[in-house]
Amino acid sequence: MAPLAALQATFLSALLFLGTDCGKALSEPSQLAPESLKVSINTSQQSLHVQWTVHGLAYDEELNMVFQIQISRMTTFNVIWVENYSTTVAWKQVLHWRWDSELPLECTTHFVRLRGMVVEEAGTPGPRPWSNWTSWEEVDAQKSLGPDWLFVFPEEKLVEEGSNVTICYVSRSHENNVSCSLESAPILGEQLSPNVSVITLNNVSFIRKTGTNFFCQMEQTHTVKGSVLFVSKVLEEPKGLSCETRDFKTLTCTWDPGTDTDLPNYRSQHYMLFEAFSGENKSCEHKDSCVWQVAPGSQETYNFTLVAENFFRKRSVNIAFDLAHRVRPMDPFSMSLKSVSATGATVTWKVHPVRDHFTHLCQVELHGEGKVIQHNVSVEKDGQRPFSELEPAMEYTARARCAAAEHFWKWSGWTGQDFRTLAAAPSEAPDVWRDVKSVLGSCNVTLFWKPLSKSHAHGEILFYNVAVESLHGPSGSKLFSIPAPAGGTEVALDGCSHRILVTANNSVGSSPAAMIVISGDPADKEAEEERVEPTEQGFSVSWKPPLEDVVGYVVDWCDRPEDAPCGLQWRRLGPNSTSAVIRSGAFRPGVRYHFRIYGISPQRRAFLLGKKTGYAQEEVPSDLPQVLVHNLTSHSFTLSWKDYATDSQPGFIRGYRVYLKSQAEQCQPEFQKTVLPDRSVGCQYEINDPEQKTLVMGDLQPESSYEFAVVPYTGAGEGALDAFTKVTMPDERSHVLIRIILPMVAGLVVIAILCYLKSRWMKEMCYPDIPDPYKSSVLSLLKPKEAAPLTIMSVNDCVPDALEVVKKPEGSKTPFPGARKAAPDTARIRPDYIYLLPTESSSGPCICFENLTYDQAAPNSGSCAHVLGPHEVPPSQLGLPTSAESLLKPLEQNYVNTPAEAPAGETTLNYVSQLASPVSGDKDLLPAKPPEPEPELCCEYRMQMALPLGLASPSLNESSNSSPTALLGQEYHG
Amino acid sequence: MLPAAREPAAGDSWGIIACLCTVLWHLPAVPALNRTGDPGPGPSIQKTYDLTRYLEHQLRTLAGTYLNYLGPPFNEPDFNPPRLGAETLPRATVNLEVWRSLNDKLRLTQNYEAYSHLLCHLRGLNRQAAAAELRRSLAHFCTSLQGLLGSIAGVMAALGYPLPQPLPGAEPAWAPGPAHSDFLQKMDDFWLLKELQTWLWRSAKDFNRLKKKMQPPAAAVTLHLEAHGF
Repeated sequence: MAPLAALQATFLSALLFLGTDCGKALSEPSQLAPESLKVSINTSQQSLHVQWTVHGLAYDEELNMVFQIQISRMTTFNVIWVENYSTTVAWKQVLHWRWDSELPLECTTHFVRLRGMVVEEAGTPGPRPWSNWTSWEEVDAQKSLGPDWLFVFPEEKLVEEGSNVTICYVSRSHENNVSCSLESAPILGEQLSPNVSVITLNNVSFIRKTGTNFFCQMEQTHTVKGSVLFVSKVLEEPKGLSCETRDFKTLTCTWDPGTDTDLPNYRSQHYMLFEAFSGENKSCEHKDSCVWQVAPGSQETYNFTLVAENFFRKRSVNIAFDLAHRVRPMDPFSMSLKSVSATGATVTWKVHPVRDHFTHLCQVELHGEGKVIQHNVSVEKDGQRPFSELEPAMEYTARARCAAAEHFWKWSGWTGQDFRTLAAAPSEAPDVWRDVKSVLGSCNVTLFWKPLSKSHAHGEILFYNVAVESLHGPSGSKLFSIPAPAGGTEVALDGCSHRILVTANNSVGSSPAAMIVISGDPADKEAEEERVEPTEQGFSVSWKPPLEDVVGYVVDWCDRPEDAPCGLQWRRLGPNSTSAVIRSGAFRPGVRYHFRIYGISPQRRAFLLGKKTGYAQEEVPSDLPQVLVHNLTSHSFTLSWKDYATDSQPGFIRGYRVYLKSQAEQCQPEFQKTVLPDRSVGCQYEINDPEQKTLVMGDLQPESSYEFAVVPYTGAGEGALDAFTKVTMPDERSHVLIRIILPMVAGLVVIAILCYLKSRWMKEMCYPDIPDPYKSSVLSLLKPKEAAPLTIMSVNDCVPDALEVVKKPEGSKTPFPGARKAAPDTARIRPDYIYLLPTESSSGPCICFENLTYDQAAPNSGSCAHVLGPHEVPPSQLGLPTSAESLLKPLEQNYVNTPAEAPAGETTLNYVSQLASPVSGDKDLLPAKPPEPEPELCCEYRMQMALPLGLASPSLNESSNSSPTALLGQEYHG
Repeated sequence: MLPAAREPAAGDSWGIIACLCTVLWHLPAVPALNRTGDPGPGPSIQKTYDLTRYLEHQLRTLAGTYLNYLGPPFNEPDFNPPRLGAETLPRATVNLEVWRSLNDKLRLTQNYEAYSHLLCHLRGLNRQAAAAELRRSLAHFCTSLQGLLGSIAGVMAALGYPLPQPLPGAEPAWAPGPAHSDFLQKMDDFWLLKELQTWLWRSAKDFNRLKKKMQPPAAAVTLHLEAHGF
């Protein structure tokens, strides 16, 4: 670039030199030559200011002249700029010319010279020659630089975005050790002279409002010098210029100024408004609007030019209009409402006067409940518009805006007013539903109703009236008043057949009645519950239309089935419906919902058509079954989880998966091998029937350990496989042993129980305390050769070895003739009676010794009572004594008194011998025919005991006093 | 406390611990530690020290924002230009020996004078800032710095030192200054923030030293402990 520029400048200089010489040759030196040339530098503008005068002009002479100005850089031969400057020159006039330098003037020396020429005019003869060149005027800004080592020029500069900027630095160091950066990026320069380098920045862009930093550093001196380039954005043409008036007094023009080109230190962006017809202009205060004062009644048409200007550019836009076509009225005011009723109101408002005969077009709107009623009204001063068919007790907003009716331009702003229509009686019956629970012929009815919508309530509902009438009983009704905002009530009905009427009431009146008929129809309970699958829209519930006439259907469900109250919801459907999609925001995953479908008869009786149940979204089972192991053998066991409740799960249980793990990792034929969550290998068996809750695990190895788990699954998947239960299979031999040992143990137990139950019998049979002579084997030893009955021991063979006779004080009652004194111990209490009694147990002729003194009532109820009479029966045989200890003991405790305790006159004790003669077993015959003594008859021992006489009954004593004694004596002596 | 710990037999660590516990137990009753009268300059020195540290923290954020506002190279961490046009700023850097040789009065006086000047320059900075958010932050910092100046004045008053009187004509007042180039002006701003940072760092050391110096000597405590018969 630099050699080319130098070549160009040289060629230009040579051309000019030749031209000069030619001029000299052709004409004489002109008298009108420029002189007093002065050149100065404006560093802030980076411009050369050249001034000169023209010598040779007459006093009042004015000539048109052209001056050719040359500017050289560094040397006079390096001409970089040639310009012809034409102007009018007067006597002693100082001429000025400015040249803006792209290169900062401080970077190098500049030279300026010029020459002049009078411009040819009409009628003047021939061409005038150029004057001589002035001498070169040198301008060297570097001379005024300070003593620093480094300088950067320009120190600051305002440029427009996208332009090119030339920067130079002057180094006073001989070493080329200066590095420069633009912001953070190093940048290299072009050497202009040994100490000056030039950097050209092309297409500079806006970075920040505080300017773009350019700086150079000198390494030795650590000097930092820089400059700041303030890059302004390009000024845009104003967009959307628009002017309007609101009152014919002022015009307001607005526009979009676009990008702000101002910088903190360089604020130049401003706007001017020129009006062509009036020739007036106005400097705008804002960058986006301007207010123009309208002269009253003078001007109807305007032609505006908006000029935007900053340091670099000037932009303008134009707009022309008729003022009457640019009227945007002021907002309406004083809006009010009149004649407000339940269904109507009149809106009134006022408009600001614009000028005479100006008609407004006003738009009136009424907003309420999402609806808008709109009307247009022509207004000069006051506006008014009635509205009808409004909803009672409804909030409305009335608003109005206006525009010029003749030349519509823009609407004014809205002015609004809220109001409320008056209340009226509710227009619709409340939607009522019920839940009936019949208990022993009476019904508890829970009524539910939905609040009336605002459009039907026509005012605030204050209370609900519930009238209950019996269908079969006596006429008359009960009336309940439920204050709002209750959504239901409970009614206990005496008998289920009732009609219930519900009305909603506000301050004005009552709504039509909603009727429900309750009947105790048990058919409701017979419907079976079917499953319903959810869809994206909700539960799709369908039903078959009943044979009966219906006026509609009701589907009800509970939003919270687990809670009480469960949040009963219902939906009414028309008589032609056979399906409904039930959706609710309350539906939750994992909750089973139950839907009941009712048909409503023309009599308003609801009858159940069907039941549905389903999940909005099934979840995996939350509980795992408690599995029990039964029938454990060496090869199999049975799993059972019958207690698992399938209905209370967060999804329909579709079946179960049984997992089995063993060390062998071999699966049974019906099992499939699978990888378990713990990455171990197991076996899986699937049960597809949710009601099958047992499984026999067969083909197992004895003495092996198995782990199993039963996991239910729903449509969402199977439950968590948490833990396995371990089962160890028993040994096969032990099974056999168990088969043997168990019956043996059972047999032994049975024997032990039998032994226990028959212990007395056994004892008597095997080791009696007092052996039964009839059963004793002694007899067989004694009489081995005798024929049956072998067990009978003849009385005659028995010789009593002792007989104890008790002395009785009452001699009349106890005469003991021939009694032998048995023992010397007189202090001992002795028995005073000996009875000879027939035994009851033996059918044969037996006799027993029985001490009956233990109970005086015994003769009447005891087994031997009947034989008390035949005490004359002579004993023929004596039975072997039997042990009576066990019986005596309790009796002694209860009945036997010690001698000291006995009354003095009754201390005598009866004696009962342990031997008894066999008597006939036939008790009936005894009184009539006393049995004869027979040697073969059995002899039975009966227990003996002593009792004080006072405890015995007199009759017994009386009847048994003499005969036994006689018999005894007889027997004794016989 | 050492004399109290010296009494038990050597090697009897349990005895030493017991004695230490006893000493700690009786500390609230030691008159030297339980003064209820004039607290002296200690608390105000501590508050001044705390405020200095707070301002250091606050300036860290502010300087980051402001240097970004100036643009590179001023916001580059290794940018360390020579101090050219900032000769009017009080220098915080001082030779260590000189700093050690300063007495309390001189220390406080230098601090007071430095912050008076810096505050003045900082207000000028605030006036030039174009961004509203930056102006708010600068105004807030100026208020805090004004508080520090008052705090230093309070410490000087508590210690009985007179406040330095500004020389006639040397009243620190911000003026637009000579026709600085914009780049030099940015350099001045850079140096102002840097000098302020260094001064706050130096002040923290000054007040910390003063704080330690003003603490009651440990010997007095020992004396009182001995008087209590330990």
